[in-house]
Amino acid sequence: MRELIVILDIAGRRVAIPAVEVQSVIELDDIYPVPRAPGYVAGLTAMRSQSLTVIDCRKALGQDGTTERGERSPVIEVDGHLYALLVDGVDDVVETQSDITPVAGGFGKEWEHVAQGMVETDRGPTLLIDIHKLIGGRTAIAA
Amino acid sequence: MDDLLAEFVAETREMLEAIEGELVAWEAEPSDRARLDNIFRFVHTVKGNCGFFDFPRLEKLSHAAEGVLAEVRAGRRHADSRLVSAVLAIIDRITQMTTAIEAGEELPEGSDEFLIAALEGDASDVGETVAMHSAQEEAETKTTDTGPQAPRSIRLPVELLDRVMSGVSDMVLARNDLARRLRDAGNEPTLDGPFERLSGILSDVREAITKMRMQRIEHLYNAIPRLVRDLSTELDKQVMVDFEGGDVELDREMIEMIRDPVTHLIRNAIDHGIEKPSERLKSGKREIGMLAIAARQSGNRITIVISDDGAGLNADKIGKKAVASGLVSQKELDAMPPESVTDLIFEAGLSTADEVSAVSGRGVGMDVVRANIEKIGGTITVSSNPGEGTMFFLQIPLTLSIISALTVSVDGQRFAIPQSYVEEIAHGASASVEFSRVGETDLVTFRDRRLPCLTLNNVLGVKPRAAGWDQRLVLLRLGSGDLFALAVDKIHDQEDLVIKPLAPAVMQTGTYAGTTLLDDGSPVLMLDIPTIASENGLVSDVRARPAQANITEKTAVEERGRTLMTFVGLDGKRRAIGMELVARIDQVPDEAFAVDDDRSQVVVDGNIMTLVGVGNKAANAEIPTGNVKLLRLSDSERELAYAVAELGESVVITEDLASPESDKNLEGVALIEGKPVPVVDGYRLFAKHGGAATPVEKLVCRLPEGDDWVDRMLQPLVAAAGYRVASDADETADVTIALADKAETIEASDASHVIKIHSDPDAAAANDDSVYRYDRAALENALRKARIGDRS
Repeated sequence: MRELIVILDIAGRRVAIPAVEVQSVIELDDIYPVPRAPGYVAGLTAMRSQSLTVIDCRKALGQDGTTERGERSPVIEVDGHLYALLVDGVDDVVETQSDITPVAGGFGKEWEHVAQGMVETDRGPTLLIDIHKLIGGRTAIAA
Repeated sequence: MDDLLAEFVAETREMLEAIEGELVAWEAEPSDRARLDNIFRFVHTVKGNCGFFDFPRLEKLSHAAEGVLAEVRAGRRHADSRLVSAVLAIIDRITQMTTAIEAGEELPEGSDEFLIAALEGDASDVGETVAMHSAQEEAETKTTDTGPQAPRSIRLPVELLDRVMSGVSDMVLARNDLARRLRDAGNEPTLDGPFERLSGILSDVREAITKMRMQRIEHLYNAIPRLVRDLSTELDKQVMVDFEGGDVELDREMIEMIRDPVTHLIRNAIDHGIEKPSERLKSGKREIGMLAIAARQSGNRITIVISDDGAGLNADKIGKKAVASGLVSQKELDAMPPESVTDLIFEAGLSTADEVSAVSGRGVGMDVVRANIEKIGGTITVSSNPGEGTMFFLQIPLTLSIISALTVSVDGQRFAIPQSYVEEIAHGASASVEFSRVGETDLVTFRDRRLPCLTLNNVLGVKPRAAGWDQRLVLLRLGSGDLFALAVDKIHDQEDLVIKPLAPAVMQTGTYAGTTLLDDGSPVLMLDIPTIASENGLVSDVRARPAQANITEKTAVEERGRTLMTFVGLDGKRRAIGMELVARIDQVPDEAFAVDDDRSQVVVDGNIMTLVGVGNKAANAEIPTGNVKLLRLSDSERELAYAVAELGESVVITEDLASPESDKNLEGVALIEGKPVPVVDGYRLFAKHGGAATPVEKLVCRLPEGDDWVDRMLQPLVAAAGYRVASDADETADVTIALADKAETIEASDASHVIKIHSDPDAAAANDDSVYRYDRAALENALRKARIGDRS
């Protein structure tokens, strides 16, 4: 089954999310921090007259390092809430060339939580991410 | 036109439009069962609806058509073309009547009998058929005359309204952006005019959109009579329900949100409140119980009162239950005032019903009702008189999505606080505010009340700090009545904000209730005040309440001492004045002072006030340059301005003032922190500088002297009743209060009224100008009577 996916760079890995989930890709202006929110919530930002919750994908995946802000962010909607994903890079929209397949041995501790499976693309094998699990954050998964 | 009627017309019209095609198809193929069913359903609905209104003709017509169609459906009659035409003629007549009802006209003249008769199987009379045709034609011409009327109301999905609403919010943001750019570009007369116009139109549209979401509370009321009828039949009770304020409008969503809680309260009222007719007769009430639901709008809040004249809440029973279920201990219960006991019904796990009934269930209930009401920013309270009934007061905001909020900031970041919690705001540097720290906890004393104080910095973990004078205070009152202060860096503005829900990840912090965009497009978080308060242990739970009540009682005892405000006068000397006289503190520039030989005045807020505190000889007074602080003193009728060099603090003194020796301007000398501080005599001050406007002379009441009880209890009460307490022995008093048990001779000669106070209730009852010393109502009544007597 062929599907359009958006290739992202998170912590140096090539990952993808289904293109149908992405509403738009925006440039983040100001991010207003949310005191006491979980670490992976970078803050709120405004897109047109809506507030978006900005999710720092590195932190959501438990990866080290900080995401550079200046990059473009895909905007997704989950359960009626809008999120902007803070990623290291938005690459391109490509077509998958295989079904979603598991990888023997899994994807590693941090990635396993959010992984939907692996897909082949013309850029090579790519990890397809389940955005629902991603924005739920690590704490929510652990719970 | 009545709302319900409009809805009826709209519905009938909608159905008519929908079955128009069916009618034609049925005419062509009378045996088509599905079409027949649709038409049957239409006449059936019309008949049902007519029963609601007083339209006998319409009802008769639809009833006749329904009967015939039912026979066809049952296969007892064949739908021949004659029958079809007869049914169509009836439907045409219904259309005609509906149009007339909508236009508010009289129903079209003419008898419907022949139409109904035409339905009969044996109707073969030619005349009737002709009449039928003429009716059809009449209907047609009528339609062409008036033309197809555009429907006056349409149904819209709420989502569409929401979309329009957010579109308008977008426009407001865009407008603000444009406004900023226009300002930056400088004056552009050719643009400014149209821009103003645009702004005006936009705010009109915004208001209209907001109104679109509003619905009359009648929509909530509509379902109640049926509920009441069913319940009272089930429970063998007789209940009459009375509605008031059905035209109060509130947000559609809000109506949905309060539907369940209100239903629950009504169920409770009928199940537990209103007694069975026999019991009601026994206790001397009418056998029909009254249930009243009234809605009232006050500002941006709606008050809904649900009251019944049933048995009322049994405080003893509630108390026992609460103890039995471990909610409170017997000791705690004993310390509770009766209102607090009835409030226990809102606690989880308490049901006063002896038996679990199908109607109101058990245990789960009032706590859920309260939680639901509080969730939408409302409050609920109960008041009940045993044997007389119960009243529930619901206070809810007008709309869910637009909340009036105060914006504040810490560390440069803005937050919003729902206005409904805000009691007052104060400047941290104000003299009426005093900070203290106990352990790690901040306390603030504001107007002699000690309140817990949170700093928003600490709550949010942004640059934690102790509350201080450089901050602003927002005093917040919770639904439970608890009051606390929240210290913030800045208070900005009060705005109406459109609140949107937050993502779950942010919601789980428990600190925020929603988000919104400010006019400049920046997102702002709205603080969840009840959760913040309970997280910081500021919501007194039931266990804490009696203990707290004790504390307030204790402080009340302490406060019988006097509070003095200390200050440094313009002459550099420290003085004090009774706090009760200080209305507020102001600061005015030196040019506001006007001091001549015999006159010293100052302009405050555009009013000329008499100035005191500038020395005995006004001419010698030196008004310092720059801003001068003023104590604005008030005797509740007039104001004086007292110029001071520096403000001190407020002190509570419990000891008596030392005699002022010969200085008549002083009330006495107080010992504050080991130093003597002269206390200015406020009474003399006002007597001397009364101002030209002679105020209404207060009636004078003489109290027995040298009695502790009189000084502590009676004096404030008398003062509150509008009397001045006689101070000099030779003054004439209008009323004299005497203690009956002290065998003093009462010199009633100079007073028109004497009230005798007994410490024994029985003795008081025996004599009509006597009052038991703790019968406050009677005492106040006697004072009032004395006053009226004086006037007449």
